[in-house]
Amino acid sequence: MVDCFEKYHPVVNFVYFFAVIIFAMFFLHPVYMALSLSGACIYSIMLNGKKALKFNLVYMLPSMLVLACVNPLFNHEGMTILFYLKDGNPFTLESIIYGIVSATMIINVIIWFSCHNQIMSSDKIMYLFGKVIPASSLIFSMVLRFVPLYKARIKTISNAQKCIGNDVSQGNVLRRARNGLKILSIMVTWSLESSIETADSMKARGYGLKGRTAFSIYKMTLKDKVVIGLLAILIALVAMGACSGLIYVNYFPRIQFTPVTVWSSFVFISYFLLCYMPIFLNIYDEIMWRISGQNV
Amino acid sequence: MGKEQGVKRLSKRTLVEAFFILLIIPLTIFWGLTVLDDRKYYFISMLIIFYTMLPFFMVFEGRKPKARELMVIAVLVAIAVAGRWAFFMLPQFKPVVAIVIIAGVCLGAESGFLVGAMSGFVSNFLFGQGPWTPWQMFSFGIIGFLAGILFKKGLLKKNGWIYLYLCVFGGLSTLLIYGPLMNTQSMLAATGQFTLELLIIYCLSGLPFDLIHAFATVFFLLILSKPMIEKIERVKIKYGLIE
Repeated sequence: MVDCFEKYHPVVNFVYFFAVIIFAMFFLHPVYMALSLSGACIYSIMLNGKKALKFNLVYMLPSMLVLACVNPLFNHEGMTILFYLKDGNPFTLESIIYGIVSATMIINVIIWFSCHNQIMSSDKIMYLFGKVIPASSLIFSMVLRFVPLYKARIKTISNAQKCIGNDVSQGNVLRRARNGLKILSIMVTWSLESSIETADSMKARGYGLKGRTAFSIYKMTLKDKVVIGLLAILIALVAMGACSGLIYVNYFPRIQFTPVTVWSSFVFISYFLLCYMPIFLNIYDEIMWRISGQNV
Repeated sequence: MGKEQGVKRLSKRTLVEAFFILLIIPLTIFWGLTVLDDRKYYFISMLIIFYTMLPFFMVFEGRKPKARELMVIAVLVAIAVAGRWAFFMLPQFKPVVAIVIIAGVCLGAESGFLVGAMSGFVSNFLFGQGPWTPWQMFSFGIIGFLAGILFKKGLLKKNGWIYLYLCVFGGLSTLLIYGPLMNTQSMLAATGQFTLELLIIYCLSGLPFDLIHAFATVFFLLILSKPMIEKIERVKIKYGLIE
């Protein structure tokens, strides 16, 4: 499936994931966590299909259960004592629930990150940080280019070495290891020297001089601006709700929720819209596509 | 002149670092204790890790590094990333720390930190980004930084013994810096709380992996450090990279 959220401006993607992941780390309210987790799961399945479903079920679910079990063994706070451990410490209901909650939190963050990894490609990161930290961004982009380049270079060297009988596939084990090291050594020397040449040619073309611009293919369109505005409103609402203590849950010594009010349901709806935003944008895109297809 | 600049640079970073350590970090912890009710260890610890890395990048960007310096750093990061990627099927058996230490020794503490932090960041594009990324960046970075400082202070003397010292330093730093930091990370991620008891348990359960990692570091330093250091020194002399 083609994802439409990916096609938005990198700023939109970055702000969205930044906000969602920070909120996911912060909110330990079960209802809010359920919203965020369901949004993350649905979106990761939309992005990665069966692979994501398998990842969520095979890795995330068991690790969540294990993590949930660890907490009550070390945390003895809470009022509802279920039984006593062998060392005399109480085993409380609150600590079990807190264990499940904190395990869900980390799983939630990891699944959001799996979506983030799919959307925030390296060129988007380059675009976002190229102006703020130009030198580090340059290193970053060079490294991304170097890794496949080195792979190709190793292939070239190994082919050349094969002609004189010094490849990793020739000779006994010791000789093979030595040949492998030799190939690596040639690769490192080659790369270091050619990198200096690259640097000199960059300098000759005016790297670091004033008034040079960077190439980018991203353009802020009206659609991006609308989505950014929406995002800003939703984030502000949720943050205000969080600051006024609406999303706070007390786990120790007793589980206490804040009562539901009109304002808190408003915050709830905002958070729901925020977590499901890419999903809704995709559905909207699909509907618009269908409608435009009918008109033809 | 080069030395003077070096002192100035160091003092500037020290100033920024002091500002963060003395002011921003206590404020963050205070904020965590009061506003967040002391339950958000994970978030606060991530912020602190982020703050400690910031001055390095700020000073690096601030002095407008030359293209040649950038390229040598990029090559070393690329070798570290490619190395981590080449050994992906062996858990923890990775050459990253070894290459970061070599970078710290040859290019200085600051570049050592950058090579470490960038290797952690870029290689996680292959291995998956997550809340552990800043921790890995910091752990790799600080090992590179320490290698550079120890070498400059003369504790790792440049004689026939240096390769042995490097191996010892590599093994110890992996076991005592990288391991505990990453164990703290997984503890905070899994339980959301910080107690000494839990930390000991996490360190013990992580010990086999840390031992493999330390062994890998020693192994790679043993076979890589001599040729790599010689190569980098040669390039430094050939192209006049020494200030």
